[in-house]
Amino acid sequence: METATHMLRTGQRGALFQFQMASRDLRNSFQRIGLAWSLAWHDVASRYRGSVLGPFWITLSMGLMVLGIGFLYASLFNLPLNEFLPYVALGIVFFGVMTGTINEGCDTFVLASGMLSQTSLPMLTFLWRTVFRNLINLAHHLVIVIGMLAFYGYWQTANIPLALVGVVLMLLNASWLSLLAAIASARYRDIPQIVVSVMQFAIFMTPVFWMPSRFGKHQIFLDLNPFYHLLQAVRAPLLGQTVQLHSYVILVAMAVIGWLVTFAIFARTRRRLVHYL
Amino acid sequence: MTAASITCTDLTIRFPVYGADAKSLKKALARAVAVGGALGRHAGVTDVTALSNVNLKLEAGDRLGLIGHNGSGKTTLLRALSGAYEPDDGSIEVNGRIASLLDLSMGIDPSATGYENIRLRCRIGGMSSKDIEGRIDEIAEFTGLGPFLSMPVKTYSAGMQGRLAFAAATAVECDVLLMDEWIAVGDADFQKIAHKRLLKLVERAGILVLATHEAPLLKLYCNKVMKLEGGVASEIVDIRKVDELLKS
Repeated sequence: METATHMLRTGQRGALFQFQMASRDLRNSFQRIGLAWSLAWHDVASRYRGSVLGPFWITLSMGLMVLGIGFLYASLFNLPLNEFLPYVALGIVFFGVMTGTINEGCDTFVLASGMLSQTSLPMLTFLWRTVFRNLINLAHHLVIVIGMLAFYGYWQTANIPLALVGVVLMLLNASWLSLLAAIASARYRDIPQIVVSVMQFAIFMTPVFWMPSRFGKHQIFLDLNPFYHLLQAVRAPLLGQTVQLHSYVILVAMAVIGWLVTFAIFARTRRRLVHYL
Repeated sequence: MTAASITCTDLTIRFPVYGADAKSLKKALARAVAVGGALGRHAGVTDVTALSNVNLKLEAGDRLGLIGHNGSGKTTLLRALSGAYEPDDGSIEVNGRIASLLDLSMGIDPSATGYENIRLRCRIGGMSSKDIEGRIDEIAEFTGLGPFLSMPVKTYSAGMQGRLAFAAATAVECDVLLMDEWIAVGDADFQKIAHKRLLKLVERAGILVLATHEAPLLKLYCNKVMKLEGGVASEIVDIRKVDELLKS
């Protein structure tokens, strides 16, 4: 049995107490991490229920989009296909994971309101549910990534361990952004619209469809864009390119500061969240 | 393991009511600008005191009936006991595994099949996948839905959904059982087996807290009664005095 056998809830306040309660929520959510997996699997399975291809629609629709955009932009910009197609494929796939995690973060608590208002399930379980759901999607997209790398011969130069470091950094950052979106969306119903707009804007401002070398003298705007570093940390090692050291510094700093701030907000709002819903 | 127990000391729960207005960021910003930084003061948020200074002490074997008008705080108390609502003042302490059967539709996905829903519901209730696989046949048999369990729940009638949810929700082992009045699910046949199951569960559970308006139900399941009125709790009295309490 995973259920807690002792529960104590008090009206005690104060920053330290709130922090302890939030940490306990975090700990409990890790202890019941299997539940988050089950819920995430269920989400993916139920979305594609009744369709012939099932979850392989995830792979197929992504594959079509990658090929469409790849061929179109390669001819528009006069770029060699063997360079541009894998580049854009990896960009869309990994940026999609970030967008998915952050956008779906908005619904994390809102959709779980039924469970949150009558059980003592840890709230962060639902954050992991959102993150895992997007990881499952990513697993389906990996077919495309591997296919591209193999077909265009990037296999030999790809630095897989470094790319995995990049994936971890990306998940660490996407998850706090997701939690922040979840808390804000529970309180203010305008937030999901804002988040969707920002992410839509970000996909065009980040070198997903275009090469950063084309940016020329406006390089500073690239360095100020956190999504650029997030994407670069995963994509560059896979394409056999190097990641600049300052990207890692920025990503680690962002993860640490982001989680600290978001966790503090979570600790402050945790007991009220269920009433927001 | 220590015996099941519930202790509430001066339990007070207040709801902030965020009106449709307050949920809009524009309104909050507009207010902040107009009043000059009133955002932190939660201007315009009204508090409703749902429970005030409730004292409660229950031990294994206690089966408490909660009575009171609509909005008297019965469900709020159950939700607080389930751990979902945190007290604004006072404290709640519960020893034992809690099963809350407040809303039968919790965790039910209408587009998934009966079997999938049983697994999902038991998972949320705290059972491991292995436990569930070991017991799924027993649960399936209890629903009496047979081949329908392989069909999506949205094709079920309301009574069938009730059967499924009841079977899954009561499959979870617990020491403390919290129930809102929804026991009347299914047809007469199902009522009978549901009743048997509940009695068994009550025996095993140690503590039952049941919110209901119906005196016969109270007399059937409970040995103690408490009345809530506008969030204020009466003394806990013996079930034999339920009629006096209902009249008062």
